[in-house]
Amino acid sequence: MGTPPAVDSPPPPKIMRLLTHNFLKSNVRGTEEGYPLNIEVTTLRIEESPVDREFLLNLLPKVNYPALRSAVRQLAPHCDPPLPEIPDELDASDAEGNENLDDAVVANLHRALFDVYLVEGWLVCPDTGRKFPVKDCIPNMILHEDEI
Amino acid sequence: GRQFSVSGDDVNNNKKTINLVSALARCTLIRSVVELWGAGPTIDDCVQSIQSGNALKIHQEGKHLGSDAIKYEDRNWKITVHTLGSTYTREEHNDMRSKFSFLDFPGRVQMKDPDDEYLFIREVELDAQGGAVYPRHSGVNREIIPENDARPPLACYFGRVLGNSSLGRNWRGSNRIEKYSLKKRAYLGPTSMDAELSLIMTNLAQIQRGSFAFDPFVGTGSILLTAALRGAYAFGTDIDLRVLRGKSQNENIVSNFKQYGLPPPELVRSDNAIYHRHFRNHLPLFDAIVTDPPYGIRAGARKSGPRKDGDVRPILDEHRYDHVAQTRPYAVSDVMADLLNVAASTLKMGGRLVYVIPSMLDFDEADDLPRHACLRLVSVCYQPLQTELGRRTVTMEKIKDYDEKKRSFYSENTWANGAESAEKVANIRDRLLDIAKKKPGYEEKAAIRKQKRKATKEAKKKAKREAAAERVDGTIKYHNVTQQQSC
Repeated sequence: MGTPPAVDSPPPPKIMRLLTHNFLKSNVRGTEEGYPLNIEVTTLRIEESPVDREFLLNLLPKVNYPALRSAVRQLAPHCDPPLPEIPDELDASDAEGNENLDDAVVANLHRALFDVYLVEGWLVCPDTGRKFPVKDCIPNMILHEDEI
Repeated sequence: GRQFSVSGDDVNNNKKTINLVSALARCTLIRSVVELWGAGPTIDDCVQSIQSGNALKIHQEGKHLGSDAIKYEDRNWKITVHTLGSTYTREEHNDMRSKFSFLDFPGRVQMKDPDDEYLFIREVELDAQGGAVYPRHSGVNREIIPENDARPPLACYFGRVLGNSSLGRNWRGSNRIEKYSLKKRAYLGPTSMDAELSLIMTNLAQIQRGSFAFDPFVGTGSILLTAALRGAYAFGTDIDLRVLRGKSQNENIVSNFKQYGLPPPELVRSDNAIYHRHFRNHLPLFDAIVTDPPYGIRAGARKSGPRKDGDVRPILDEHRYDHVAQTRPYAVSDVMADLLNVAASTLKMGGRLVYVIPSMLDFDEADDLPRHACLRLVSVCYQPLQTELGRRTVTMEKIKDYDEKKRSFYSENTWANGAESAEKVANIRDRLLDIAKKKPGYEEKAAIRKQKRKATKEAKKKAKREAAAERVDGTIKYHNVTQQQSC
């Protein structure tokens, strides 16, 4: 079979951002915690979006900050241009304190949560090593019948 | 001051006035907001009512219009006539209009976008399906039925239009949801929700800019797309990977969103039956959950687990990533119990769950709807679909914190009448089939459908064969080699 004719393929759809990652866990039978999932990157894409400060501050108390921090660390080597720094520590649940975060910090948090797209890769259970594929930009978290 | 503001900016901005007219920007079922000038049982009574009131005088003075409004003398106008449930000719409409000529508007008549639109409504008694109880024309040859035609109307109204909805049907019956019509979507499935109901559901769910909206049975994303159109951050899950991925790069959920210039939604393939095993315990997250759960009528509901009970073979590591997970049937009673549980635990306090449930005539809203201690019933809206079948759009609101320890208690108390209520929904497919089978001509129609399916299947196979032959045109040698290997 000959090589298929070259076609301008559209860029892969952008989905699976760190906000979603922050909530996903692995719960195959036998896992205690299964959270947070480690990220193995095959393809990654960054696309900027407008910062909605109010929405982000509303969301921040629900975010597990250490999980976000470690996810950013895992993705950083693959990001070009590099991801802006987010604070090492942040008490995300402190709603009042969050109100005082300056715009630059909010913009960096926004970038980390909403603008980094894991197009293709794996989400790996920290306890069992079970890998959940991210393909066609959708994480496939379905447990197999022997994992229920 | 300015009472009648029509600016769309007023809608989601708490600081400015929100009123009925500004809310029109997001309404589907309200056609117009009208300042009533007069009303009465007949058109003549309506005229008299206007003459004894001072609406005209106030409008002539024009204070309510604001300082930069066009002067009364120059304002062009038109009168829209709406004869509910009956058809009249253009001449007859003009006769009705002429009854209001005493108003003597100074400006010109202008049909398109006049400064002032007036509305005359002639109301008659309607039946449950929205048709006239005493129709003016006979169904057969559209002849006028004299006794019905002679009946006086129920009421007549005349007023000045303050605003018209842009999202619903206009007075001439055309549905302007056309922009969002399913017909225009690149990616559709048999279960895609019609645009009108999606718009209504997202209003019932009070979705606005910045809302975090979730659809646990996202399917082709039709409801989620509407939530995103209202400004929500959209998140959807489904157990069916094929429907999530779509048909191709240009025919999937994300491309539909792109079609409307929306940011892409978050999508995860997961099983709502075990939501708590896919997602960590999190503080209530969602402002709204809007969904059309799978009831097994047009699409069967599935959940993770072995196809059959019994020994499950462990999957070897090297096969893990190619393995297609088995799924098992997901009973409607469990679909709803799980949905309400997920809603109760993941909705913010005051957040709303809006879902659609099909029901037949024996469905009792008081007893047969699923319930949850943390959710209160806000409303139920019934829409007839066929003689025997309708669907209800149910809205619930979270009023109590979710207690994980009470999970079993919640599940066990979902159905007031226990299995009976759940069965009413679960059995719909079989019952509809039974009804259809009893109708005359069923056997013949079924045979025709079978023929059609067979023909389509044959045509597809033929097309596939021809396409394969075309591709290897010019490299026949290789084709022969593969042929050999596959024998």
